[in-house]
Amino acid sequence: MAQAFDGKLEKLDNFRWKIPQTYKSGMRVPGLIYANDSLLPGILNDKALEQVANVAFLPGILKYSLGMPDIHWGYGFSIGGVAATDPEDGGVISPGGVGYDICCGVRLVRSDLTLDDLKPRLETLVNELFNDIPSGIGSSGNIRASAKDEEEIFLKGAGWAVKKGYGVKEDLECTEDKGSIEGADPSKVSKRAYERGRDQSGTLGSGNHFLEIQIVDEIYDEKKAEAFGLFKGQIAMMIHSGSRGLGYQICDDYVKSMIGCLGKYNISVPDRQLACAPINSPEGRAYLGGMKCAANYAWTNRQCLMHLARNVFEKVFNKSWNSLGLKLVYDVAHNIAKMERHAVDGKEKLLCVHRKGATRAFPPGHIDLPERYKEAGQPVIIPGDMGRVSYVLAGSPGAMRETFGSTCHGAGRCLSRSSAIKACHGRQIDKELFNKSGIIVRAKTRTTLAEEAPEAYKDVNEVVDVVHGAGLSVKVCRMRPLGVIKG
Amino acid sequence: MKPFELIEHTADVGIKARGATLTELFENAARGMFYVIAGEGYKAQGSKVEKKIEICKNRDNYEETLVSWLSELLYTFNREKIYFNDFKILSLNDSALKAEAGGINIDLYQSNIYTEIKAVTFHNLKIEEDVDGFSCTIIFDV
Repeated sequence: MAQAFDGKLEKLDNFRWKIPQTYKSGMRVPGLIYANDSLLPGILNDKALEQVANVAFLPGILKYSLGMPDIHWGYGFSIGGVAATDPEDGGVISPGGVGYDICCGVRLVRSDLTLDDLKPRLETLVNELFNDIPSGIGSSGNIRASAKDEEEIFLKGAGWAVKKGYGVKEDLECTEDKGSIEGADPSKVSKRAYERGRDQSGTLGSGNHFLEIQIVDEIYDEKKAEAFGLFKGQIAMMIHSGSRGLGYQICDDYVKSMIGCLGKYNISVPDRQLACAPINSPEGRAYLGGMKCAANYAWTNRQCLMHLARNVFEKVFNKSWNSLGLKLVYDVAHNIAKMERHAVDGKEKLLCVHRKGATRAFPPGHIDLPERYKEAGQPVIIPGDMGRVSYVLAGSPGAMRETFGSTCHGAGRCLSRSSAIKACHGRQIDKELFNKSGIIVRAKTRTTLAEEAPEAYKDVNEVVDVVHGAGLSVKVCRMRPLGVIKG
Repeated sequence: MKPFELIEHTADVGIKARGATLTELFENAARGMFYVIAGEGYKAQGSKVEKKIEICKNRDNYEETLVSWLSELLYTFNREKIYFNDFKILSLNDSALKAEAGGINIDLYQSNIYTEIKAVTFHNLKIEEDVDGFSCTIIFDV
C-alpha cells in the first residue's frame, strides 16, 4: 500500500524541502519538510508526505504544514507532523493531530553513578526493573487510584503523584507544563475512558514504550550539559510511555464525534482521520478539555513509573535515590495539542499547536521554562533505538521562528513491524545486542524485540543532525543504552 | 479469495479484508483484527463466552459502522479479556448492526499476546465493491 510520493519537492537548502501549495487543490499552505539528502529517499518512499499535504487542508492552518526529519507514515497526520492553527481565523483542533496515545512522551533521569558503580549490578538492576515495573499488554499497576483519585489526576496531573509521595516538588518543576496542563475538564471524559484509565497508572505499556539505563558517552555543549546536570560517563535513565487506555479511548470518542463536525462546520479534509472542529466551538472546547485530562494522566503515569524505578535503584544499591542523585532532568510530551503564544508576521497570537510525534523546543529565556533552564533553553529528550544512541538537545530560537517551537521526537521507523519481524526471523535480537554491544535487554515477548530491532528505525544521528543543522534545536549530549526494558 | 491479509504500514498495522457480501466483509475484518492482536496459530485457553453486539448510532455509511463494530470488539477484548474468534452478523445496514461474537476468556497478561491495538482508525477508509464482492483496508494504531 505504501507508495512513493508522486509530487515534486522544492529544495530550499540542505535541510529544508517544500511541498508547493499547488500540489493538491485545497491545500491552504505549503508543506515544509526538514531532511537531508540521506534521509530524503526513505521519506519519499512512504505516504508521509501525502499526509503532510492533507494536513495543509485544515482550516486556520498557519505558514506551513510541517514535517520533522523523523517523519513517517501515520494515520491522518504523519508521525513527525506539526501544524499550528489560529482560533481567530476559524482554526480547528483535530484529535488525529495528537493521536491516540495522548501526551505520550519521554523523561530523562540523571544520576551521580558512573559505569564503574553500575557495572557489577547492571544485570540485577535490569532484572529488578523488569520485575517491578508493570509492562506489556494487559498489565495493571500497583499504584491504585480510586474514582475520586482519577478525577484529581485529570485535574492536577503529576502533582497528584507527588502529593501521594511518588516523587518530590522539584520533579514537577522539571516537567513540561509542570506535569499539569490547565483547563482539564473531567466532565468531557467518557465513562469508558474513565474505566480504561483506572488500573493503568504506573504501567509502561507495550510496543515502542521502554525504560532504558544509559551512559552519557558524548558531550557537545559543556555549558548546557552542566545546566542540565549531565556529564560524560554518567549513568542516566530514560522512560517512554503515555496515557495508556485512557488516552486511546478519549481520542477514539472524539474522532468519531468530530466526523459529524465536518458537515456541521462545512470543513473539507481528504481523510476522515483528520476530523476536526473549530477550537472556539463546543466540540473543539470539549475535546481540548478531555485531551488535557489524558495529558495530565500521562504525566502522572511517567511520574509513577519514575517513582517505581527509583525504588528499584534504592533496593539494588541500598542507598536512597536522593543520595544516588536520581533527579529528573526533564519530561517532554511528543503527542499533544497546546494553546501557545507565537509571533506570526510580527504579531503575537494565541495558537493551537498540534505536535504529532514532535517535541516542544523552547529557546533560552522563554517564559514557560523553569528558572534553572532559562539560560540553557528547554531540554529536549530524543530517544533513538535500543541498539544505537539517544540524545539530549536544547531548544533554540530557530524553532520559534520556523516550527512554532517544535523539533523532532525520535528516530522514526523505517521498517513496518511485519518487515522487521521478517528481517529478524531466526535471530535472537537480545543475544545480538548483548554480544555486539553488551546491552542487556528484557522484553515480554520475542516478537516485540523483533518489531523494535534497531534496523526498524532510521539512524537517529541523521535525524538529530538535521534539526541541529536547521537551527531547530542544539545538540547537548548523546547517550548509549546499557540496559533496556521493553513492554 | 483470502478473508484478510496484512498490509505494510511503516508505523502501525493494516489489514485488507474481503467478503463476498458486506456481512462477510465485516466478519472477516473482525477476524483480521484478532489475527493482528494475537498472531498466527494463537490458541486461546479459558472458558467460552458469547456476547451480543449492537451498533445503532452511525451516520448513514458502512465505513463508520465498520469502525464502530471493530472498536466495540476491541473495547470488550480490553475490558473483559475476551479473545474473540467467532463472528456472526445477524443484521446490517448503513447505520446499524446486530451481531453475536463468540470467544474465550483469557488471562491477557499471562498470554503470549504482544500487539496492543490502541484503536481502529478511519485513515483512508473506504469500502470498495468489485466483481468478487467487497474489500476494505483498515489501519490500526499500535
